[in-house]
Amino acid sequence: MIRILIVDDHPAMRAGLTAVLRGEAGFVALDAATSATDLWPALNRTRPDVVVLDYHLPGDDGLVLCRRIKRQIPAPAVLLYSGYADASLTIPARLAGADGLINKSAPASELYDAIRRVARGERVQPPLSRELLGRAGSNLQAEDLPILGMALEDTPIGEMAAVLGVEPAVVSRRIDRMISQLKVDVPAPCSSR
Amino acid sequence: MTSRWMALLLMTRLLAAAVAVLLLVVHRVTAHDPALIAAVIAYTAVSLVVLSRVERLQLAPVAWLLDGVAVLALVGASEDWRSPFYVLMVTALILPATGLGFTRALAWGIAFTSAYLGVAVYTDLDADTLESSIRLETIATHLMVPLVVVLALAYAADVLERLRGERLRSERLAVQSERQRIAWELHDSAKQRVHAAHLVLSALQGQVSGQQAELVGHALSELRSAGADMDTSVAELRTPLEGRSVERLLGERVAELAPASDAQITLTGTVGELPAHIAAHTYRIGAEALTNAVRHGAAQRVRVTLARNPSTATIEVVDDGRGLPAIRRPGSNGLRSMRARADTIGAQLSIGPGDDGRGTRVTLTLPTRPQEESSHA
Repeated sequence: MIRILIVDDHPAMRAGLTAVLRGEAGFVALDAATSATDLWPALNRTRPDVVVLDYHLPGDDGLVLCRRIKRQIPAPAVLLYSGYADASLTIPARLAGADGLINKSAPASELYDAIRRVARGERVQPPLSRELLGRAGSNLQAEDLPILGMALEDTPIGEMAAVLGVEPAVVSRRIDRMISQLKVDVPAPCSSR
Repeated sequence: MTSRWMALLLMTRLLAAAVAVLLLVVHRVTAHDPALIAAVIAYTAVSLVVLSRVERLQLAPVAWLLDGVAVLALVGASEDWRSPFYVLMVTALILPATGLGFTRALAWGIAFTSAYLGVAVYTDLDADTLESSIRLETIATHLMVPLVVVLALAYAADVLERLRGERLRSERLAVQSERQRIAWELHDSAKQRVHAAHLVLSALQGQVSGQQAELVGHALSELRSAGADMDTSVAELRTPLEGRSVERLLGERVAELAPASDAQITLTGTVGELPAHIAAHTYRIGAEALTNAVRHGAAQRVRVTLARNPSTATIEVVDDGRGLPAIRRPGSNGLRSMRARADTIGAQLSIGPGDDGRGTRVTLTLPTRPQEESSHA
């Protein structure tokens, strides 16, 4: 049985996901969370195997939450679930430690497959390409690029810190910075400029 | 903007002409007053009619110059610089002062005043005038008035112009924030519901068969099209194509992709004019195909060919890369959204191997009406 926690701010999406996952054999859909605030209690209470995490959430977005979820011991697998710009989310999702990335337009069969694979510890994501890496590289500071390289090779933070000769907290901060620089824009209710 | 100043010219010049005629009737100014009355009435009528009818003359320096020469000639003909035509003369400064921008308007005013001084000397400005303090003060005032008028008008025109720019800017900002709001609502609410409906319905696939499966498939395809429509609308609302042609937009996309890629990208041809929402979908399908070729194909060469025939327009993206993967890439949405967009605009999308069986060829064929008709639409 794969125990699944859904995090999505839209009621239609939460209800749809819950219904679809309940109907599939081998899945247990736990109570859904709507945002960061009720995510932590739900996480502690239910101890899921997989978190299906919306990218675009009010307050902290899916990437920030994913980083925090993956710091837990033991951490559940995280499948980022996005309705927006999937391929450009590949690198920030990797940096945030997500196990998978899937578009909300995928049919249920693909979603089931992705959940089973991340639950087994596999990675599910669009392939990395030179073009994506090149664009990410030009948006990041040069000093962060070695960390990006190591993160894409799944190097643990402690090892990165040892290679670079800095504190793990510094590496962690730099990863946060990279994630915020590579964020994918989603429409906002009002322009801040 | 000029219509406002034309109205000012119309009012002041009519008033000035009336004053001139009245002065000429009441006081005997010269030996040929009746001729002057006829001349000022004729010139006022002709100048105002011509300037109001032919709008581009309102901004033509040649027209201003001729007008200036004419009014100065009237002043000269009255044989006195304290002329009954003095106010009429000043009205000739309205259009240049408001049409030239501040500095050049000031230069025009100085030149005009100097010309007036010349006319004054030609009439009866002489040593006597300069010795009588009252007459000296009068000539000084007569010289100052045109300068003050030009200064005031040029300043007003400048301020109005700035206000107009400011208003346009705030209108644009209001439109922008409204677009942001609509995009957000589409993406944040309507799109989420469509995703949810698609997901739930797709869970039925494989559990139903025969005609029911067909119906479910049909509904799913409609939902995908709705999603694609919303994606294009959201993209349109956030970065509108603003009437730019499909080939120009694809050219910009090529310029964006080229530096981050090894592939040589060529873009040729045109799809001609398309209705706005079809152009938006067409561009986004073409851009997706191009991005896929560059991003995933490991291609050396990518060729984008656009063509317009009497009843169809086509976009073909051919690369010599590694071709389509045998199994779908997990989490990728590109092909799905291209197909959904093509369905939405009634176009055919075919995806297959490229030249000599290597790489990928994506062809989009969309039906069009003949170009003459569509440009009228």
